[in-house]
Amino acid sequence: MNTEDKAWKRLRDTAAAQITPGFADRVLRAARAEATPLFVSHFLMCAATAALCLAAVAVYQSRATGDEDASNLAGWREIAAQSNDLDQGL
Amino acid sequence: MDDSSTTTLGERVRRAQRGDEVALRELIVAYQRRVAGFAFAITGRSDSVEDLAQMVFIKMVRAIGRLNAPEQFESWLFRLARNTCIDHLRRQKLRRIFTPFAPEHENMPEADGAVDSEELDALRHALDQLRPKDRALLALVQEGRSHAEIAETFKTSVAAVKARLHRAREQLRQHYTSDEH
Repeated sequence: MNTEDKAWKRLRDTAAAQITPGFADRVLRAARAEATPLFVSHFLMCAATAALCLAAVAVYQSRATGDEDASNLAGWREIAAQSNDLDQGL
Repeated sequence: MDDSSTTTLGERVRRAQRGDEVALRELIVAYQRRVAGFAFAITGRSDSVEDLAQMVFIKMVRAIGRLNAPEQFESWLFRLARNTCIDHLRRQKLRRIFTPFAPEHENMPEADGAVDSEELDALRHALDQLRPKDRALLALVQEGRSHAEIAETFKTSVAAVKARLHRAREQLRQHYTSDEH
């Protein structure tokens, strides 16, 4: 084994010594911990988006209905006024 | 790697893909030392090896279900490791731009006992002169990976691997030799 190969072996051994006991369990715990909030945050994001969409539809619907009612009311008022005018003319 | 060990590995990977925690733990235990060595070769710092190895294996646990060919697990894992280490170096570089440290902090020595060999120091210094991608290439060769496997890991051709490897070896030898004298 030449000097370079020995150095590479030393490098691998030094690195391996940095891995402390229970490493695999810590990784699995961390992976689970990361996965759960991800699911929760995705769910919350979906719920918030859906609520926002519903609110936007409701606001639009109420405004559209209000405009239509106002326009119908104005039409009826006009008809009522014309009918009054006709009644007075007779 | 012989056929039986490939079959065993493939079976273990398939079990892990089905969410078997025992298989996942077995995979982590089987590869933790190799991934740690690989990360050390690329980053050059032993104190970040465990954190990086942990990041690699968390990514592995989360993405193993999407691995289409369980037989190519090793290439896939080392690709994950390589990308994680290179991303880590990029982030460090960016951080240095926004929070510049004094030069004496940049080259802060590692803790006592972390690196206690002159030959290892020489190799680390020589590796430090190479690009991270070339360090990854040399580390994979030291892992005993074939040119074809490295090509699969790097998603490139065998000819390109041979050419880059030749260049990287030359550079390493140059710096390693000049450090020794």
